[in-house]
Amino acid sequence: MFEFLLRHYNYWMFIGLMMIGFYAMMAKKNLIKKIIGMNIFQSAIILFFISTSVKGGGVSVPILQYAHKGAKAGIVDVMQYANPLPHVLMLTAIVVMVATLGVALAVAIMIYRRYDTLEEDEIRLRRKRGS
Amino acid sequence: MSVETPILIIVIPLISAVLTPLMGLWKKVLSYICAITALSLCTLASVNTLYRVLTDGSIHYRLGSWPPPFGIELVVDHLNGMMLVIVSVISLSVAVYSYRSIEQELPGKAVYFYTLYLLQVTGFLGILITGDLFNLYVFLEIASLAGYALIAVGEDGAPVACFRYIVMGTIGACFYLLGVGYIYISTGSLNMADVHLLIQKLYDTKVIATAIAFILTGLAVKMALFPLHVWLPDAYTKAPSATSALIAPLMTKVSIYVMIRILFSVFEISLFVEVFPLTKIMVWAGIAAICGGAVMALAQTDFKRMLCYILVAEVGYMVGGLGLANAVAIRGAILHILNDAVMTAGLFTVAGIIMHKIKSRRLADFEGLFKRMPFTMSAFVVCALSMIGVPPTCGFFSKWYLIQGAILAGEWPFVAALLGSSLINVILFFRIIEIGFVFKSSMQGHPHDKERMDKIDEAPLSMLIPTVGIATAIILIGFYNQAIVKHIIDFALPKF
Amino acid sequence: MIVGALLIYGTMDMPGWGDPNSPASTHVSPYYLRNSLKDTATPNVVTSILADYRGYDTLGETTVIFTAGMACILLLRKRRKK
Repeated sequence: MFEFLLRHYNYWMFIGLMMIGFYAMMAKKNLIKKIIGMNIFQSAIILFFISTSVKGGGVSVPILQYAHKGAKAGIVDVMQYANPLPHVLMLTAIVVMVATLGVALAVAIMIYRRYDTLEEDEIRLRRKRGS
Repeated sequence: MSVETPILIIVIPLISAVLTPLMGLWKKVLSYICAITALSLCTLASVNTLYRVLTDGSIHYRLGSWPPPFGIELVVDHLNGMMLVIVSVISLSVAVYSYRSIEQELPGKAVYFYTLYLLQVTGFLGILITGDLFNLYVFLEIASLAGYALIAVGEDGAPVACFRYIVMGTIGACFYLLGVGYIYISTGSLNMADVHLLIQKLYDTKVIATAIAFILTGLAVKMALFPLHVWLPDAYTKAPSATSALIAPLMTKVSIYVMIRILFSVFEISLFVEVFPLTKIMVWAGIAAICGGAVMALAQTDFKRMLCYILVAEVGYMVGGLGLANAVAIRGAILHILNDAVMTAGLFTVAGIIMHKIKSRRLADFEGLFKRMPFTMSAFVVCALSMIGVPPTCGFFSKWYLIQGAILAGEWPFVAALLGSSLINVILFFRIIEIGFVFKSSMQGHPHDKERMDKIDEAPLSMLIPTVGIATAIILIGFYNQAIVKHIIDFALPKF
Repeated sequence: MIVGALLIYGTMDMPGWGDPNSPASTHVSPYYLRNSLKDTATPNVVTSILADYRGYDTLGETTVIFTAGMACILLLRKRRKK
């Protein structure tokens, strides 16, 4: 059981991080805190994936060595390099995350210009009063 | 040329999305022409693709000529082909329709509106055509981001409604990404066909169970399945008319398409009936959506908000139909995707025209509209009849298949929900039609109202033609539905 | 809370961290590592996947940025006072 815990602890760390972000998104009332929570949640997902790309202890980044100046790489020892595919997917996911962050902040700016506050309860009150 | 059509479907809107702001900054009307041209070419390309699929069988187009699973491939089969045509045609119609209404609602920003419009269409088409799970996530986010922006420029409460949509939509997309990641971790591949082969050995592992749960929950947020539908009424009501006419029919249907893809092409259908009780959950979710949507729709006084709740109920039809898991019901559900997209587009365009003309959406203000805007209101009547399910409009046929399938599966609550919601739709729409016919009785003694009524005339032509076109399409699809079912939908059914 | 429990439940069957024989590492990735130099003349495997094998994803990513930029312009530009 303990060995099981040890083997999977990396996943659990990131799940904990995801929970923090998710909770922030749901429970906080300030719009900016919600956005930050969203950001934490997405970053945690990204880290979660990258952690799966490691193979064993001393694995290097997926850039082939001895391949400069036109040298032939020869036989590539696959086990020596980390798995590149999650890195690639997560690069794209990071870009998407930043773009979503930008649009969310733009909408928050719109709301601020209109209602002069960023607290959800305040906004609801002001809308009811017909501000 | 025709070998490359699958990728052209994506590339044409994308390149025009880049060209549109450039041309629009030079002369504003050019952006509109650019968008219309692009969407027409896109429609031609998708019709061509559908034709090729019908004659040759499914198309696999490899991007960059890398064989899958190392490269990404675009897969077009019958289900895809039909949906590509639906999305292209509806977006073209709404683009033609939107010219006047955007001038009125978003002065000065029309250029960027059309850019985002084209980007959203690119996103939808990209989702439909791809054969790779991660690629789907990328295009889902393109469509979602464009949608967030298009909704947030609406009327007064739009940014607040949109913010809620952003939070929920992003959670949904992230759940989808998590699910795909779990699938990747256990199979090592992202290509849909490849995963289909590899995953058969893994059916009873917990990883796959979690993956399915996350993917479906994420998609349920995007398709506004009860109880995750709470973002939909606010967001679609407060959006500009052209945006709702574009997004409302398409976003939910595309998400349902993704669900169909995941359930049927990536995982086998037998998995769900035997190993997981998922189909039961789907049927009950469908029933809840239908009842909830219908009840809330009755309580609304705002026309567009009522339509949004009807949309939630329609999603319930489709999900419940898929959950019944027999051939007749799935045929009905897929036909209903086609029908509902067209019906919802029709209803929202009518709502937009009315908004454009009388600047109000309260039902009480609809008096006398039949006399003043006969074409618009006749289109509305056709759409309403289709929603209720009256032959020969298309809505009748898909409901008929769904009811047949439900009886076959013995799910009597679902049958009751279907029939009940048809009755409620009757009440809703006849209420509006009745108000529309009332003409002179309350006009006496209100000179201000009479003056206002005199100003209302028939809708401008550019808004009218798409609306009437959609209404005609509803009737035509109804007449030809046997042909559509036989040639297209039956090929899209999964093998049992 | 439920979400976290579900996620943890799902990890129980996963291969351990750093397991070199996991399917994720042995199915598709070795092809990329072995053939990247031959196919694309780039020693950086991440780049070769991103730009060549899965270049379509990168196109989508660029579109995402473009969409976000356009969205911000649409949302934030104030109407010019005539």
